[in-house]
Amino acid sequence: MDITELTVKETVEKIKRKEISVKETVQAYLKNIDEKDNNIRAFLSTNKEETLKEAEELDKESEKNGHIFGIPVAIKDNINVYGTETTAGSKILKGYISPYDATVVRKIKEENGIIIGKTNCDEFAMGSSTENSAYFNTKNPINTDYVPGGSSGGSAASVAAREAAAAFGSDTGGSIREPAAFCGIVGLKPTYGRVSRYGLIAFGSSLDIIGPLTKNVEDAAILTRVITGFDPHDETTVALPHEDYLNFLKKDIKGKKLGIIREIKDFNVQKEVNLALTNAISNLVNQGCEVLEISIPHLKYALPAYYLIAPSEASSNLSRFDGVRYGLEGNGDNLRDFYEDTRTKGFGREVKRRILIGTFALSEGYFDEYYLKASKVRQLIAMDFEKAFENVDALVLPTTATTAFKFNEKKSPLEMYMSDIFTIPMNLAGVPAISIPFGKDDKGLPIGIQIVGKWFKEGEIFNISYALEQSKEKDCV
Amino acid sequence: MFDIEKIERLAALKLQGKEKDAIIKDLEEILNYFNILKEVNTENIEPLVYTKGTKLFLRRDETEKGLSLEETEKNRELFGDNFFKVKKIIGE
Repeated sequence: MDITELTVKETVEKIKRKEISVKETVQAYLKNIDEKDNNIRAFLSTNKEETLKEAEELDKESEKNGHIFGIPVAIKDNINVYGTETTAGSKILKGYISPYDATVVRKIKEENGIIIGKTNCDEFAMGSSTENSAYFNTKNPINTDYVPGGSSGGSAASVAAREAAAAFGSDTGGSIREPAAFCGIVGLKPTYGRVSRYGLIAFGSSLDIIGPLTKNVEDAAILTRVITGFDPHDETTVALPHEDYLNFLKKDIKGKKLGIIREIKDFNVQKEVNLALTNAISNLVNQGCEVLEISIPHLKYALPAYYLIAPSEASSNLSRFDGVRYGLEGNGDNLRDFYEDTRTKGFGREVKRRILIGTFALSEGYFDEYYLKASKVRQLIAMDFEKAFENVDALVLPTTATTAFKFNEKKSPLEMYMSDIFTIPMNLAGVPAISIPFGKDDKGLPIGIQIVGKWFKEGEIFNISYALEQSKEKDCV
Repeated sequence: MFDIEKIERLAALKLQGKEKDAIIKDLEEILNYFNILKEVNTENIEPLVYTKGTKLFLRRDETEKGLSLEETEKNRELFGDNFFKVKKIIGE
């Protein structure tokens, strides 16, 4: 038996029945890291001795409590884990040691999960291929000529390469779902407000959310249960009664109304991706779902609105990186020169571009025309979703218009931004969305199908995506 | 259409050489693309900042354990009576 092929659920059950030990589980994943990660490069840092020691400690416990007892999980490097280097893929944070745990990390530890390492990402989560990491590129484990997607590319690659049982990433405009789609795994962006952002290095605070990347839908439901909930340290988290997402998985989906977005056909979508969407829909119809065409009239404005709002928030959030209290320390005779030197040396090109766009959009004389206009368009997009959800329970669309691309294939920033056209609208509206692997293209690259739910209806999208996942082998070519 | 030096100053960045040229070109292209937003009628539409269901609340003003000096020093050596070192600000 290869432990690393087991799901989170199976692994926990086997550990609790003492069929396998936590140490064996951790060793199995560490072995894959040893053998594969020189090539894949999913991890920025690991600590084998510490991880093994934790595993041994857990094996000594007679009461094996916790939904993820002994499960080795990978954490995106923009999430603070006490005592580890947290760089967010940036040189400006090289050497920064987290002095505290993010709330999500605290919850993982409370459920006895084991943090196996910190994963590579686009610098400050700004990118769609992980090529913007200041350290190195991560390769797509399905085909190493291709990017793993981004910005949570390391997290997605670690799960696809079986170097971690599951991983956590952050999603500001698609950074969990796009790499999940490119690497052939499951990725969930929860509803904004479901998961605490405390300890997540802020990029776009009104858009950022932490979520799981997993081998299957059931594992995603298990991990979501671990991390969700109100947190006094994040005033945007919502106090809702605890929900056991696992109860939704096996419900009958008969009679569910699914929306197909009319405007998708205005975009250039790869042939095989369209085919996969058609197959997915017919699968769901075969299981008794009803399909309706709905409209998100402002869909094409989501991308420009996002690329004003996210950089505006980033320009403010990233002003804290000044070299005084942690991270890279520049030179300069006076304070201004010191700040400028630190930041100019410390930030990569894409981060500089976004800081400048955001600074411009918020600057005197341009605020109304750019930031305010974009925030109004955002309102219209959220209203479009609200209207669509009056008639349907969930939306079904591709996660990305194409499968994974090659390194250096996207020549301009705008071309790269376009990778997120089908994921960004959900961040602007705040709704939950899951990407599940569904078929492959003629190059053998995975295709992701996205199921989008109403605000705080993660259970609903777990239900539909689980049904789709279970059916696909028998119903799809 | 934008004053790059002014924006750099506001952002505390100092671009140079080829990087500066490349970034200016990119920004022009990106800002130009944003013009399609002008097509959208946003009259009487309120801007959206925080999405549905999120309400800002005030936390009780209770003291919590903050970072210890020991933790702080892992990231930057403090000096004197536990101060961060900064460049001279006054008397410039």
